[in-house]
Amino acid sequence: MPDETPVLEMRGITKRFPGIVANDAIDFDLRKGEVHALLGENGAGKSTLMNILYGLYTPDEGEILIRGERVVMHSPRDAIAQGIGMVHQHFMLIPVMTVAENVVLADEPRTGGVLLDYAEAEKRVGELAQRFKFAIDPHATIQSISVAQQQRVEILKALYREADILILDEPTAVLTPQEATELFDILRALIAEGLSVIFISHKLDEVLQISDRITTLRRGKHVETIPRAGATEESLATAMVGREVLLEVEKKPVEPGEALLRAEHLSVLDDRGLPAVRDVSFEVCAGEIVGIAGVDGNGQTELIDALTGLSRIESGRVFVGEDDCTGKTAREYLDEGVGHIPEDRQRRGLVLDFTLAENLALYAYRQPPVSRFGWLSPGRMVDRARGLLEKYDVRGGSPQTRASALSGGNQQKVVLAREVERDPKVLVAAQPTRGLDVGAIEFVHRRLVEERGEGRAILLVSFELEEILSLSDRILVIYEGRIVGEFPPTVTREELGVAMLGGTREAAA
Amino acid sequence: MTAPAAAVRPTLLDRLPRGARAVAWAGILLGLLAFFVALPPITVRSPVVPFLLGLLGIAAGIWALTRGVRRLGWSAIVLSILGIGLGYLATLSGEAKLSGVVVWSALLAAMLRFATPLTFAAIGGMFSERSGVVNIGLEGMMLMGAFFAILAADKLNSWPLGILAAIVAGGLTALIHAFVSIQLRADQIVSGTAINFLALGVTGYFFIDTYGDQGTPGSGIPRIPEVDLGFLGSVPRAGEFLEAVFGHLNLMIWLSFLTLIVAYVVMFKSPIGLRIRSVGEHPRAADTVGISVYLVRYLCVMVSGMLAALGGAYLSIGFLGSFNENMTAGRGFIALAALIFGNWRPLGAFGAALLFGFSSALAQRLPEYSTSGAVLFQALPYVLTLIAVAGVIGRSIPPAAIGRPYVKQ
Repeated sequence: MPDETPVLEMRGITKRFPGIVANDAIDFDLRKGEVHALLGENGAGKSTLMNILYGLYTPDEGEILIRGERVVMHSPRDAIAQGIGMVHQHFMLIPVMTVAENVVLADEPRTGGVLLDYAEAEKRVGELAQRFKFAIDPHATIQSISVAQQQRVEILKALYREADILILDEPTAVLTPQEATELFDILRALIAEGLSVIFISHKLDEVLQISDRITTLRRGKHVETIPRAGATEESLATAMVGREVLLEVEKKPVEPGEALLRAEHLSVLDDRGLPAVRDVSFEVCAGEIVGIAGVDGNGQTELIDALTGLSRIESGRVFVGEDDCTGKTAREYLDEGVGHIPEDRQRRGLVLDFTLAENLALYAYRQPPVSRFGWLSPGRMVDRARGLLEKYDVRGGSPQTRASALSGGNQQKVVLAREVERDPKVLVAAQPTRGLDVGAIEFVHRRLVEERGEGRAILLVSFELEEILSLSDRILVIYEGRIVGEFPPTVTREELGVAMLGGTREAAA
Repeated sequence: MTAPAAAVRPTLLDRLPRGARAVAWAGILLGLLAFFVALPPITVRSPVVPFLLGLLGIAAGIWALTRGVRRLGWSAIVLSILGIGLGYLATLSGEAKLSGVVVWSALLAAMLRFATPLTFAAIGGMFSERSGVVNIGLEGMMLMGAFFAILAADKLNSWPLGILAAIVAGGLTALIHAFVSIQLRADQIVSGTAINFLALGVTGYFFIDTYGDQGTPGSGIPRIPEVDLGFLGSVPRAGEFLEAVFGHLNLMIWLSFLTLIVAYVVMFKSPIGLRIRSVGEHPRAADTVGISVYLVRYLCVMVSGMLAALGGAYLSIGFLGSFNENMTAGRGFIALAALIFGNWRPLGAFGAALLFGFSSALAQRLPEYSTSGAVLFQALPYVLTLIAVAGVIGRSIPPAAIGRPYVKQ
């Protein structure tokens, strides 16, 4: 059991940025040997608070006490000296350097006081890795090891500097469920070694799984600090968002109409020229959501690209409504009425350096009111955007704001606005909630169900089983480029899980 | 989970190419040999020999190519074709003329002379660029070094003070570049270009102001001495050759060798180097472990200016003993090319500097055959750099954060 002495106390921390109070008089404490989760939506101020603790930001007000003593942190160097280690959400590792080099950087063992003792560095890192049973070769370069291993290198960096307070910023965002479980085992081992852990997350189930206490932040303010016992996903979500959140999506029974999207014996090659989608046939009808479940990398990306005209179809046909669209261009697909919410909104969904008005006009720019007689009207483009931003509840920006300045959830709302506003027959939504927080997920889900009610055919591709199960009217499972099974939404997670690993391939074939 | 296998460090033997790569290397060597046999001292007179060797080289290149060794394979083919062509030309040339042009000892000594300013500037550039700051202003820093070296040496009547003045001038010029590109986060290419014009203007002004139309006095300016290694001549068999190449090199040439070794050790064997490289690859990562990105970059850019200025000092008070306007004549840019060609590594950059130096040395002697041909030959460094940048002979991979100003959170 964790004892009651706080190893860390933050009192009344306030940090203002131009136009926003990121942290408003926040209190936070960490007891020795506990995992304390810091919960909040994107932009709630979790990262700001931790960056203050790690010396990356200076607070405007408030004080930090470590082991009862008041400290002022000017830089990460000070934080490291106080025994604080941080695993950043975006790893602070140098891809071309070795594990050992990354771990010892700025605190290198030396020979003769001058030269870097590479042998000693690799030995120490190897020993440290072995102590915590990390299977990591100190001599391997970062770019050659998996993301989960890279995360362990980040943990090693903290341990090498003898940290006893470890901050993990959204550590599971990049991990598979299996890897996340392994990470939790590691965290328990670290606790056993006497460390204390701050675990930043917005995933409710994980927070309930690993933490001893949970502190929730909302819009820069401290909401509550509670022990895990008694907390539920619903209560946490409410604290996080500030209102009741529907974790379950309500929807009316399905009334499928005519088939609006149809793939017939579709085969697609990936960018290395190897078959990625193999002889896939299915249809999506008006007013239904068809979910495609599968583990990442089983041909989903290639399938989406083929269904939106972004890649060449090797064989087979695609019909939108009655029209054979095989071989048509992406614009022709759009004109046919296919809306596309791409997998990676930052790279393919939006032009981050463009304003919201420009992003919203990426398709509409050729038509009135945005342009007339081939001339663009920036004024009308902005007016149109202002209306759309309001209609789709996009917060944190005006039409002139750059897309990069928005949070993930609001970026996704902009993408949704652009695609839905064209009144498409078919909506292809790929990973529409990846990286979004609870509130934004709820919005996107509700919106998709609404569009289903409008009679659109919606194809939902997702790696999140919960999402597939709660939204879909029919579920197709893709494995190694083939559809290996079709299930009703009443299917259990276990059945789906088996199918996703190719289990029912024989049965389905 | 199992314990990681003990890391096995690659020995020299492990690094030697194997299989198809070895064949490709053999093809490259054959291509070079095709040219070499037609030159003194072997001076094969029959074109058949270079043809045969070259064809073998091409065959080896194709063989390697079909087994997936693309870059080396193509290198072997291209070099073999060049070897055939040049070897054939050499067999056409008169034997006396040929041995007049191709005097290996003189060529090699000239190569070192031409390579030295490039080496200094390229190693300087390595420090700057490895820390993430593009330094296109090497040319200007070199020019400042050249002028202030000769000014100080002349007025103070001391070549060591001349070198010191060059270092100070180069360092200060680099400080401008550092301030503009690190502190003000300006575009580093623009800043570097401005440095080049600034240096041209400043040196031009003070040069005319101090020396007028006469130019620097031809004699009387203290020069960096040569290092006389006469004893090399007594080495059995190779003595004459060694003395001709290494016997009378300028002190700065030896200093460039020393700089090279020190730079290598600092950059790749010391904690300082690891930190510099981390700043150039991922400044935020360096920042989060407590490295001051700005300090590292400032120091690196200043070191680059000082080293480039040493190259300039060699030009003015070492090599020529005089100064004229824009005397660096693009050597700073060639040094930059050598740096890229050498993949941002000291030995690679030195190798490239030697190659460029050799082509200059050869171009100096070629007018014997054809004046225009010699001029054309001077373009070789640029052609090679284009080939290197295009990734034909092994791609150059720059530091990941190069050219991007760092904004502290």
